Amino acid sequence: MDKYKKFLAESVISEDKVVTYRLLSRTLGVHVNTAKQMLYDFHKSQNDRRPGAIHATYLVYGSKDGISRSSYGSDGDIEMASSPPDVDYLHNDTFHSFELTLIPEERLKYELGFYDEVASIHVYSIEPGPMKDMALLVDAAEEVLKMDEGEDFVKPNVIVNPKLRRKERTRPASKPVSGAPKPVKQEVKPAFSATKPAVVASKAKEAPKPIQEKASTSAASKKPPALKRGASSNSGIMQAFSKASTKVKKDASAGNSRAATPSGDDSGMHPMSDDGEDDAAVPHPKPREATGRKSKKEREEELRRMMEEDDEEEEQEKAPTPEEEPVEEAVPEPEEEEPEEVVTISNGRRRGKRRIMRKKQVMDEDGYLVTIQEPGWESFSEDEAPPPKPKPATSAPAAKGKKAAPKGQGSIMSFFSKK
Amino acid sequence: MVTLEDVLDSGMLKKPSEDEPEVLERSDSDYHPLHTFTLGKDLQYRQQFADIYFLRLTKIKPAVEEIASIAWEGTVIGGETAKRVERVLDVRQGELCWVAGTVYVDMPLKPNILEDVSKDRWISAPSTAQHYFSDDGRDAVMLEDDSGRIRLVGSVLKSHILVTGCIIAAMGTENINGEFDVIDIQIADLPPQPGRWELSKPSQNDTKKEPKPKSEDVEMSGSPSAAPSKKIAFVSGLEFSGTDTSHAMDLNLLLEFLLGDVVDPATQAELSQISRLIIAGNSIASEAKEHPAEDPAERKSAHKKYGYDSSSYNPLPSQLLDKFLSELLPSMPITLLPGAHDPANASYPQQPIHAAMFPKARAYTVLPGSTEPGWLDTVTNPWEGEVEGWRFLGTGGQNLDDMCKYVPDNNRLGLMEAMCRWRCSAPTAPDTLWAYPFQDDEPFVMKKCPHLYFVGCQPEFGTRVIQGPDGQMVRLIAVPSFAATREIILVDTETLDVSRVKIAT
Repeated sequence: MDKYKKFLAESVISEDKVVTYRLLSRTLGVHVNTAKQMLYDFHKSQNDRRPGAIHATYLVYGSKDGISRSSYGSDGDIEMASSPPDVDYLHNDTFHSFELTLIPEERLKYELGFYDEVASIHVYSIEPGPMKDMALLVDAAEEVLKMDEGEDFVKPNVIVNPKLRRKERTRPASKPVSGAPKPVKQEVKPAFSATKPAVVASKAKEAPKPIQEKASTSAASKKPPALKRGASSNSGIMQAFSKASTKVKKDASAGNSRAATPSGDDSGMHPMSDDGEDDAAVPHPKPREATGRKSKKEREEELRRMMEEDDEEEEQEKAPTPEEEPVEEAVPEPEEEEPEEVVTISNGRRRGKRRIMRKKQVMDEDGYLVTIQEPGWESFSEDEAPPPKPKPATSAPAAKGKKAAPKGQGSIMSFFSKK
Repeated sequence: MVTLEDVLDSGMLKKPSEDEPEVLERSDSDYHPLHTFTLGKDLQYRQQFADIYFLRLTKIKPAVEEIASIAWEGTVIGGETAKRVERVLDVRQGELCWVAGTVYVDMPLKPNILEDVSKDRWISAPSTAQHYFSDDGRDAVMLEDDSGRIRLVGSVLKSHILVTGCIIAAMGTENINGEFDVIDIQIADLPPQPGRWELSKPSQNDTKKEPKPKSEDVEMSGSPSAAPSKKIAFVSGLEFSGTDTSHAMDLNLLLEFLLGDVVDPATQAELSQISRLIIAGNSIASEAKEHPAEDPAERKSAHKKYGYDSSSYNPLPSQLLDKFLSELLPSMPITLLPGAHDPANASYPQQPIHAAMFPKARAYTVLPGSTEPGWLDTVTNPWEGEVEGWRFLGTGGQNLDDMCKYVPDNNRLGLMEAMCRWRCSAPTAPDTLWAYPFQDDEPFVMKKCPHLYFVGCQPEFGTRVIQGPDGQMVRLIAVPSFAATREIILVDTETLDVSRVKIAT
């Protein structure tokens, strides 16, 4: 029970701190009314021993009808002049007037004289000496507020409200729909970032590769490994190199065994299957040269097309175009040109995300409106007839993995060849 | 007079007692807000303002004419009987007649849209004029309707409060100068008043307490008389500020007072009867004074990377307000009206402060799609609602402040009364008080007479009761700005009696 005396002695006498009843109540976990009595008791016992040892500030609440306050020192009472006329201010009705005042102990007797009736008086705070500035009390109050903010701190409210309504804030569980695209994006990005190393790798191994690749005639099957490497081990370039050859082999064989699957990939796969040979396989040097020569024409064409497209967003419709256009066309701006799709096929519906260009108007610093094109992802679902699945059970997961992989790879390769 | 000896045996000035302090329950709040002033989300601002005047006139004119015809029917002056004329333009020179229309007060000091346009100022800043009124007789009062306008003259005008936008009927004759010499003026007077508990039912008191008398006994123990009536607390102009801390301690005391932490158990029981706090505007201080116009070019260069530009925006005031609200809300429901300085739109009717301003307190706001009002109810300004069965109408103070610029004296309660008797809560909108250009409805017309009309952010506290011809009683309260006066207002919900609590440090 005497814990509070020890605490108060430490805080007020040793540390020269101001302790309010709220602070005491929070610190010791006692009711505020008990805390007020503790302050009083401590103040009294200390000052009985040695008068003036500590200083108390009282809080007085009571009615003050019709008594105007005379000026007293510098207590900052602005209302002195206006309070008398207040009463009959413009046929004001009479009203009860109460006042809640903080009074230092030395002025208590004097201030009490202005009250008609005191409803309540208690010690608000005790402090080492008379306070010059109320800011000290503000600090103490802020300390209390900080304590109240604590998560599991139960506020000892004097008056509770049984009708309290509060929102239960439930975080919206991330929906599977929105959750799915993200991983895809992440996968794609690493692929891009890994492009360069991967290219280097492929170039370096160009000599050995062709043989293997030729052996595995289906181009689509080759590329997946590179992609996977890029995606999964984007940090370890060396890993990619070292494993490249072996993986390719494995994948090649896997691809062979699943000869049927590529057809299921449809548009998603097309860029791959078309380019596959060019990019990765033997003729590599040639295409590069070709692109170098063609690039001017190509670019001009590109530009023209882009201008035309500016008005309509044909990008979405682009899915078929890559098939028609050779890889080289896509080369200048691989990201734009090659619609990448993440496709899942279920119940005969194709759903997924495809890469499109979105137009966006923004205001720049100088207040001009600027239209920029931004790559974005758009989800779609088509009602296409499901591709014939010879081995539905096994192919489904495998196909998925492959699909994702080819895209990444295809784009990477084209990116390289461009340069 | 109270002496020290009188209070020394008080309950709090003794040794800590061992007995368990009782837990008080706060009174329930019967609360039914109305959405009279809520603007739809898809409103546009392309239309003209004239429709507001037209709608107001068509709504109030019948009432004015009814009163006027009763008052002036068969009035004979100088051998001539006063006739009613339909339109302002129908007034004939020399004929004694009366006509109803909208008052327009032309004042040289008043901001004038035509002036702005002629000077090619298309974006106007809020007017800074303290007074439009000038004493030199240049101010002209006109009466207008959709047909035309006529200038009013006569000594009668001096004895009436007239501001732009109020609807009156005037009797007199047109003089040789084409001015209307007014003999008498009539206004619509208080609209019909709904009964108490028109929209909601006094649910809890009888139904809840009867089944369990035990709890009643406990509740009674602290209070002197049986069933003390509930109270509503009003405060305005809290003006939480990032720079001015001069009333920080008073705000703390206010919080402790409303929470019931201060004072002794008997008074705490009284305070537990405060069932709701209504904050009538200006919860956040205007920082304009502290930041005199900086060089705009210099400001522009300040780069803003994330979120706000810390050189031009100080989040502290809204954080302090949020903290205040979230401390108080567990104990007490709050209705929050925006004011002139608050983060809401500037034009009347101001829409609710968005809950996003209150990261902590927003947990208490209304659930989307819920019909129940929020525990923290951020509402429009003006706002109308039924609290404890009484019809409340209140504003954040801009309407009254603007009207005060039209009149020579500062008779704020008188202007509040005039608003009620004109049946218009914002007559100077849209002339000098910015307002939304309403097309279909003019919400500022009082269709129902409130029981309590409060206006926030006033320089001084004032209250009185006005009465209408059909026994209407309206309690007017000018809620003082807390930052200026440190005062809050408590209203008894049974008698609508008002008391004032002043906080001093």
